[in-house]
Amino acid sequence: MIDLKDVTIRYGDAAVVNNVTLSVEYGQSFALVGESGSGKSTILKVLAGQLSNWSGRIRLGEHELAHGRDKALVRLCQMVFQDPYGSLHPRKSVDAILSEPLAIHGIGQRDQRVQDAMAAVGLARKFRFRLPHQLSGGQRQRVAIARALMLDPPVLLLDEPTSALDVSVQAEVLNLLKALQEDRGLTYFMVTHDLPVVSFLCDRLAILRQGRVVEEATVDQLKQQAFRSPYGQELLSHSH
Amino acid sequence: MSLLSVENLRVEFPSHQGPVEVVKGISFDLGRERLGIVGESGSGKSMTGRALMRLIAPPGRVTADRMVFDGQDLQTLPDKAMRRLRGARLSMVMQDPKFSLNPVMTIGHQMSEVLEFHGRQNRKQRRESVLKALRSVRIDDPERVYRQYPHEVSGGMGQRVMIAMMVILEPDLMIADEPTSALDVSVQSQVLDIMDDLIRYKGMGLILISHDLNLVSRYCDRILVMFKGRIVETCEAGQLHQATHPYTQGLLASVPVLNEHRNRLPILDRIQLGSV
Repeated sequence: MIDLKDVTIRYGDAAVVNNVTLSVEYGQSFALVGESGSGKSTILKVLAGQLSNWSGRIRLGEHELAHGRDKALVRLCQMVFQDPYGSLHPRKSVDAILSEPLAIHGIGQRDQRVQDAMAAVGLARKFRFRLPHQLSGGQRQRVAIARALMLDPPVLLLDEPTSALDVSVQAEVLNLLKALQEDRGLTYFMVTHDLPVVSFLCDRLAILRQGRVVEEATVDQLKQQAFRSPYGQELLSHSH
Repeated sequence: MSLLSVENLRVEFPSHQGPVEVVKGISFDLGRERLGIVGESGSGKSMTGRALMRLIAPPGRVTADRMVFDGQDLQTLPDKAMRRLRGARLSMVMQDPKFSLNPVMTIGHQMSEVLEFHGRQNRKQRRESVLKALRSVRIDDPERVYRQYPHEVSGGMGQRVMIAMMVILEPDLMIADEPTSALDVSVQSQVLDIMDDLIRYKGMGLILISHDLNLVSRYCDRILVMFKGRIVETCEAGQLHQATHPYTQGLLASVPVLNEHRNRLPILDRIQLGSV
């Protein structure tokens, strides 16, 4: 579903991601782990069409990624950001936030679709006309997930979707992501530095360091703490 | 005698619906030990830390039957005396170096300011102390960091600078409010180890405020669990996993583990907990 081949990404002249080749199957949940500055979020930004200074080949299903965003891409993949306090427009109600993608893409039955999306992420109807500041962190992240699902994309890009949340709220959001994947067969591409979260949600992972993939592993290898690379072992030792 | 003694501490803020109590009468004693306060957002843990530093500004209101730090009553102490205490004997490490360091002052300058305020040394000595403090948090090139501005250093480095700034006067009690939650896991343990070393070496007391149960149990001797402004459980750090309060148990269970086999994580039943 997601194929990256020899992808190099630059900021100006500096290459921050070097020759990364990865592939994620349809319906799989894949995690990219590494420290800050390893280039993991940069890869996500390219997939979302936010950066254009890259070379190599990227395919999402049948879609060949161009250098930039187009309507076809946004219907294929949508992103959920780390910080639910920063990623929602502060002056737009939940209803406006969720209707906007539908309006842009000229999709009808908006009222029904907004209601369905809210139900799918477990938001009560009373929240529909509230503003983001009237919601808790967990509720906001639910809105962000609902917004990402409005166009029914097969791929969700998740940028540390729970690291800004309390552990108990993190559990709720992780459960929601897992249930949505089971129901809709979504493909997840997640960036995180939290290995236990990977263990719960993902099937496979790649470890990134200084813009290069140092190891690809299955989640079973993670559970048994059997990474082959020394850097992978080092990461394990940090997550108690 | 204990270093800090708090009885029936309450913090209250006015709102349109009348006053809201965010800390609802908590009591604890602290010696030269490492105390952890855990709880979710809104449980009142940060407000407790701020109340101890007397950093809650009106319209917030702090009351307590007793709030004594090393024989000095923190409630009646004049502002001037409180300022002398703050930094020198009681200090606080904040969550995010991006927002807590002064962006228009070099790191060296803002660290010397602390020493200057407490008027202990001349300019040259101050510079030496700052460099020494930076070295003590394992910054290898203190001369360079001394001249840099906060935006020129990474998050982990910034947090180490804040810790250096807080220990420079060797306080008796350090309050660390989520000192590492803005940092990467790999940098996190590094920063906490540095802090831990300093505390043991200098024999300081520590209050570590965090939402991360595992982290607190690793770096503290004793843990207070807060929920909705109250302390619901106190336990030895090593015995956290035998916690009996349903809230603590719920929090512990909701954290995914490295070898995770549950298909769904248990979530807190807040309605039921509200009645506990």
